[in-house]
Amino acid sequence: MLGPGIAWYLGVSAFLFGVGALGVLLRRNPLIVLLSLEIMLNGANLALIAFSRHAHNGAGQIFALAVMAVAASEVCVGLGLVVAIHRRNLELDVDRLSELRG
Amino acid sequence: MSPGAWLCLFAPLGGTLAITLAGTRIPRAAAGWISTTSVFIAFGGAVWSFFGLRAHGSGDAHISNAWTWLQSGAFKVGLSVLVDPLSTMMMLIVSGVSALIILYSIGYMHGDDEERRYFAYMSLFVFSMLLLVEGGNLLILLAGWGLVGLSSYLLIGFWHERPSAVAAAKKAFVMNAFGDATMALAFFVIILHAHSLDFTPAFHVHLSGTAMNLVVLGLLGGAAAKSAQVPLHTWLPDAMEGPTPVSALIHAATMVTAGVYLIARTHPLFEQARTVELVAAGMGTLTLLMAGLIALVQTDIKRVIAYSTMSQIGYMFLGAGIGAYANGMFHLMTHAFFKALLFMGAGVVIHALGGEQDIRKMRGIGAHMPKTKWLFLAGSLALVGIVPFGGFFSKDSIISATLNLGWYGWVFWVAALVGTFLTGVYTFRLYFTVFTSEGDAHPHHAAGSEGPWTMMLPVAILGVLAVIGGWIQFSPLWHPLTDWLSPVAATLHVAEPTNTQEYVTSAIAVVVGLAGIGVAWALYGARRRREVPSVPALQRTLEHKFYFDELYDALFYKPSVAVATWWRRDIEEGFVLPAGPDVGETAFDTGRGVGRLQTGLLRTYVFFLGTGMAVLAIVFLLVK
Repeated sequence: MLGPGIAWYLGVSAFLFGVGALGVLLRRNPLIVLLSLEIMLNGANLALIAFSRHAHNGAGQIFALAVMAVAASEVCVGLGLVVAIHRRNLELDVDRLSELRG
Repeated sequence: MSPGAWLCLFAPLGGTLAITLAGTRIPRAAAGWISTTSVFIAFGGAVWSFFGLRAHGSGDAHISNAWTWLQSGAFKVGLSVLVDPLSTMMMLIVSGVSALIILYSIGYMHGDDEERRYFAYMSLFVFSMLLLVEGGNLLILLAGWGLVGLSSYLLIGFWHERPSAVAAAKKAFVMNAFGDATMALAFFVIILHAHSLDFTPAFHVHLSGTAMNLVVLGLLGGAAAKSAQVPLHTWLPDAMEGPTPVSALIHAATMVTAGVYLIARTHPLFEQARTVELVAAGMGTLTLLMAGLIALVQTDIKRVIAYSTMSQIGYMFLGAGIGAYANGMFHLMTHAFFKALLFMGAGVVIHALGGEQDIRKMRGIGAHMPKTKWLFLAGSLALVGIVPFGGFFSKDSIISATLNLGWYGWVFWVAALVGTFLTGVYTFRLYFTVFTSEGDAHPHHAAGSEGPWTMMLPVAILGVLAVIGGWIQFSPLWHPLTDWLSPVAATLHVAEPTNTQEYVTSAIAVVVGLAGIGVAWALYGARRRREVPSVPALQRTLEHKFYFDELYDALFYKPSVAVATWWRRDIEEGFVLPAGPDVGETAFDTGRGVGRLQTGLLRTYVFFLGTGMAVLAIVFLLVK
């Protein structure tokens, strides 16, 4: 097979996932949190496609397409929430949005 | 022909969905027309299937499978419809009569607060009933069976602000659920041994005598509950709380006859348990006598007709139980016509009197409603079985089919003839009291019109059908219906009477029926109204409907209330309530402790989630 081995792809995928996870954990702006979520999803997508190539099985690519569709809808909802929060003049800070605290 | 069957099945469901989704965006009147149109389309589909099947020869049975609905190992159930002589006959009856009755409802329900809901339910019912009769395997049949129970529940309780309607709906549902359960148990046994619920393998299942008896008893339980046969009959009279067209459609013409369809459909099983099959015939006989007696003393017009329905289904059970399936189905058809006619005729009167259902307050209405009077008379004559009305052809052939069965055949024969006499008396007691006696009842709305055309047209069509519908078959001379059904439900040899037996029985039945009418005339006729002879003990028994409600009350309701009361007094108030405060405190403390875990910070949640996943992943790797 041409190109680098599957380990490289998985490495990049894990790196993307880690960057995204750190972003979700550490950043407080919901916009950036959503953006980091997208990076995590794309890391997972990369792994799916790499395995799909590796195993000569198209199912992984179909999954990746499905993930993209879900991600797109999720971003729509997320951005909608961000806009709604902004309209109500609330602070855009995920730590302040904690009304469910026990 | 299969496309016709699918169209027939899904058109009414489309009607339901259209009315439900359109909601208040469409005017109320539109809902009725959507429902009517969808059911007329279904009738078109049924006609299409019928002619398709005729072109192929009626020996064919076509199963059309849409997709695999359920799979578990080798056991597979498809969403499939069956087109064969029996199912096309039921499709034609169900969709045809439903279409007329829903058209009638447009006039009857006009001005009701929740017309849209009513018509959505009606279409749903038609869909369920068609699913039941078209189902290509026993599971689809059971699904339809349950759905008609649901729509019947919804429609009996349609006027949900009336406590009596809600109670009646619950009663019907519980009794039917009992039948559904026994049927499901029978199906489990069939799955265990035949590994399939398709008709052909299921009907050739090999079982021991006892197991087969139990399976067939389970099926019979379902059939008896749905068809209101003794001892599962008490829900049907109460079901008259629903609107009158509902009574005409569900509790007279279609749903309650499903038990007869079930016996005809699963007759290969019933024939392997002949004793149980004869129990079905005995049950029918008992029901037709009891219901006929109770109908003599009822004063609510709809309840009289309801008991008459039970009695007529008793005849169908008798026919199907002795093996004369085609005769049972034939009576099902003519009964659908004349009983729907009687209910709708009663509906016209009730509508004109603004909801009055007591026949003693209807005296004299006949003078104002000549058309209804004549149509009701046609329906009554068909019910009693007078030549040449519908019931004559179908009922008498059932009675004569009992003659070759030995001593119990004679019992059935005599009981069925006594039933005919009772039919004559109670039917014409109703007719003479309401339509020919003198009284001061008069319609609430303007004179000259008995009802809107949407009501009168279906009643007139059914009136014609009640008169000529039976001519299709006169067993000694021509029997196209028996021939049509013979590939699916061939009449047993023992249930085939000779021509002489048929002629003699028919003659006796007509004489007995006329005698019944004569007695009714002597007692309730207009000019010679006499004091009705009264036997207080008997009358009280009949007015209490043979004490079945009281019996079930004492057997099931009172013991469970007693157990519940004891449970509350000795267990709950004795132990649970005193322990309450401690239990409460502990729960509060635990809650507060756990509550601290809820920081409300998204990042901690994500952190715990991620850590948990990582730990699990590592554990799995190590264990493997």
